[in-house]
Amino acid sequence: MTAAKYKIDNMTAFLDRNFIQQDSYTEKIMPLDEELLGNDLSEMWKDASRWKTGDKWRSFGWNVIEIDGHRVEQISDAIRRANQTKGLPSIIIARTIKGKGVEHMEDNPQWHGKAPKPEMVPIIEDELESQFMIAPSIIAGDMSNLDKEVKRCAGGRADYIHLDVMDGQFVPNKTFDHTKIKELRPLTLIPFDAHLMINEPVKHVHDYIDAGSDIITVHAEVCDESSFGEICDMLNSNQVGIGLAINPDTELPQWCYKFVELLDQIIIMSVVPGKSGQKFIESTHEKIQRIAKDLKEHKFGGYIEVDGGVNLENIGACFEDGARAFVGGSAIIGQNDVRMIIKEFRNKVLESRRRLLIKKAHDLGGMEFVNKWIDLHVVGEKKDNLVQIAKEFGLS
Amino acid sequence: MSTEQLGDMRTEYSKSLIAVGEEDPNIVVLGADTTDSLKTANFGKKFPERFFNVGIAEANLVSVAAGLAYSGKTAFASTYAIFLPGRCVDQIRNAIAYPSPGDKKGLNVKLVVSHGGISVGADGGSHQQIEDIAIMRAIPNMKVLVPADSVAVSKLTWIIAQQYGPFYMRMARSKTPIIYNDSQEFQIGKGIILRDGSDCTIAACGITVKIALDAADLLQQDGISCRVVDCFSIKPIDKELLEKAARETGSIVTCEEHNVMGGFGSSVAEVVSESYPVPIKRIGVQDKFGESARDNEIPQLFEKHGITSINIANAVKDARGQKP
Repeated sequence: MTAAKYKIDNMTAFLDRNFIQQDSYTEKIMPLDEELLGNDLSEMWKDASRWKTGDKWRSFGWNVIEIDGHRVEQISDAIRRANQTKGLPSIIIARTIKGKGVEHMEDNPQWHGKAPKPEMVPIIEDELESQFMIAPSIIAGDMSNLDKEVKRCAGGRADYIHLDVMDGQFVPNKTFDHTKIKELRPLTLIPFDAHLMINEPVKHVHDYIDAGSDIITVHAEVCDESSFGEICDMLNSNQVGIGLAINPDTELPQWCYKFVELLDQIIIMSVVPGKSGQKFIESTHEKIQRIAKDLKEHKFGGYIEVDGGVNLENIGACFEDGARAFVGGSAIIGQNDVRMIIKEFRNKVLESRRRLLIKKAHDLGGMEFVNKWIDLHVVGEKKDNLVQIAKEFGLS
Repeated sequence: MSTEQLGDMRTEYSKSLIAVGEEDPNIVVLGADTTDSLKTANFGKKFPERFFNVGIAEANLVSVAAGLAYSGKTAFASTYAIFLPGRCVDQIRNAIAYPSPGDKKGLNVKLVVSHGGISVGADGGSHQQIEDIAIMRAIPNMKVLVPADSVAVSKLTWIIAQQYGPFYMRMARSKTPIIYNDSQEFQIGKGIILRDGSDCTIAACGITVKIALDAADLLQQDGISCRVVDCFSIKPIDKELLEKAARETGSIVTCEEHNVMGGFGSSVAEVVSESYPVPIKRIGVQDKFGESARDNEIPQLFEKHGITSINIANAVKDARGQKP
C-alpha cells in the first residue's frame, strides 16, 4: 500500500510462486489462489484462470507481471517491462516448480527444507546435467506464413525456435535471411536458434546478431580457425550463444577444440542439409556417442543438438547417445497439434532419461538402491513408470 | 538418572498433546505452517475438528488462538520460537496476556515453541531466538517455562493444559540428553535440585542443564562441590530455592541458551540481589547474534558463545573468588 501511495516505480518485487510451503501445498494450507482439495498440484498448473494471487496485488495498486519463472527470456523481459512502468510499483509473479530438474523433488513439499542424502548426489548430478531442449524448425511449415509458424511454436511451449537460413550456395535451397528473422523477432520471447547454412558466414554474422538471434550456429565446412575465432569474438561481445555445425560427412575439425570451452552448442546434422522431411541417417547415433564422449573429455559445457529427421521413434535413442537439443521439422511443425507433439517429444526424452538414471542407480548400488531411488518419486505417476522401466531391465 | 539416552522434545510434546486432548475435548491446537516439524500435525490427524493451520501468518495464529480461548477453549499455539515472541509480541501482549475476563488473568493460551536459542542448525542467526525469555517474562500474566529434556516437556504439557492462564514454553530443536525419570514431579514455580553441593550453585534451564551437570563433574575433580538446580520455571521463579542457595553456597553461576541481558540469569540476579546478595556470574549468549551451524557444528557454536562446561567451571571459580 505504501509503495502504491508513494508511486515507488523504481522498486520491483519478485514472487516465487511455487505453491509449496513447509507443511504442504499452499493451496491446501492457506489458499492464495484456490483451495486444493486433492493432492494433485498438476490440476492447478493446468488452469491459469484459477490463479488469483495477481488480482490481490493489483487491488493494492501494483503493476502485476505474470511469467513462467523457468524461462530466462521471460524474466529479463519482465524486468524490462517493470522498469518501463512509471507511477506504480511492479511485482513479477514467477510461476515456478520447486525442485525443477530433479523429478523426485519437483512439486514435492517434502523437499522444502531438506538436502538430499549424499548417496543420492551422483544420480541427482546426472539428472541435472541431462536437461534438454526441443527446438521446432519452422521451415517445415508454411513458408509463405512463417509468422503463423512462430506463433504455433510459442503456443506449443517450444524451448527454442530453430531458424534454418539457406543461401542457395552452401546448400542448393534458399529459405530466408536476417531480414525475415528481424520481422519475426517481435512475435515471441522464445530464443531464436539461427542455423546459418550459408557460405562465408563471417561476413554475415553481424546481420544475424542485429536481427535478434539468441544463438547463432555456423558450419564448420565454411569456417577456419581464424574466421571462426572472429565469429566467436563477435557473438561473445554481443552476448549471443555460439554454435558450430557439421554435416553428416564431416567430423569436428581439429581447430574447433581451441574454442570448445566457448561453445554453447554443436549441431550434428543427421540428414544432408537442404530440405525438410528427410530420413534420419542411422549412423548418426554412433557419431553422436563418439563426439559426446570426445567433447566431455575436452570440457565442452554446451549442448549437442541433433538436426534432421528427428521423430518420436528416434529421439529417445538420440538422447541416450548424448544429444541434449532436438530440432524437430516435419515431425513437429508438420503436425496439427504442436503443443501435444512437443509434449510427446519431451515424454520420450524423459523416459530415456529415466532409463539412464535407473541404470546409473543400479551401477551405484544394485537393485536395492534402484528401489530406494524409485521410492523417492512420490508425486504424480512417475513412480509407476519407473517401476515399469526397471521391470523391462529385469530389475525390481 | 541416565545421561546417555537422547529424547526428542517435539515428539513428546505431540504425544502428550494427543493424550491430554483425549481426556479434555476442550483442547484445540493451532499451527502456522511448520506443523509437520512441530509434530502437532499428529494431533490434527487424530482430532481434525480441533486443529487449525492458519498458514504462514503468526500474528493471526496468536489472534485466532486468543479468540478460541475467549470462547472457552484451551488453545495450544505452536511454531518456531523466532516466529512467536520475535514476531507477535503485540498480539501476545494485547490479545492474550492483557484481556482478563472476570477474575481471570489473561486468556487460556499456551504458546509452545520449538527451535529456541542458538541450537537450531543451519538456519542461522536470523532464526535463532535469543531474546524470548526476556520478552515474555516482561509481559504481565505470562508464565515462562524452559524444560531441560523431553520428559520435562511431556510433564509440563500436561500441567499447563490443566492450569489456567497464558504460558510460554520453549523447546529445543535437537534431540537432548534425558535428565529425568518418568517419576519426576514438576511444579510451576518450583526448581529442581539435581545435585546437592555446598561451595557454589549452578542454576540452569533448558538444554544447558546437562552442561551444568557436566561442569559440576569437572569441579568435583578439583574438590569443589556444586549444587545444580534446574530452574525450568523462569516465571514464576523459585525465589525460596534461590535465596536458600545463595545463603548456603555463597555464590551462583547461571546458564542459559539465551542472551544474558534480561534472560534467565537476569531473573536470578533480580531475586538474589533483593533477598540475599552474593556474587553471580551469568553464562549465556553475550549480547551478540548467533550464526549458522550445521548439526555437527552446534558444539562449536556453543563454544564460540562460551556456553560450555569448562566455562561454567571457570565462572564458578571466579564467583567463589569474589565472595566477601
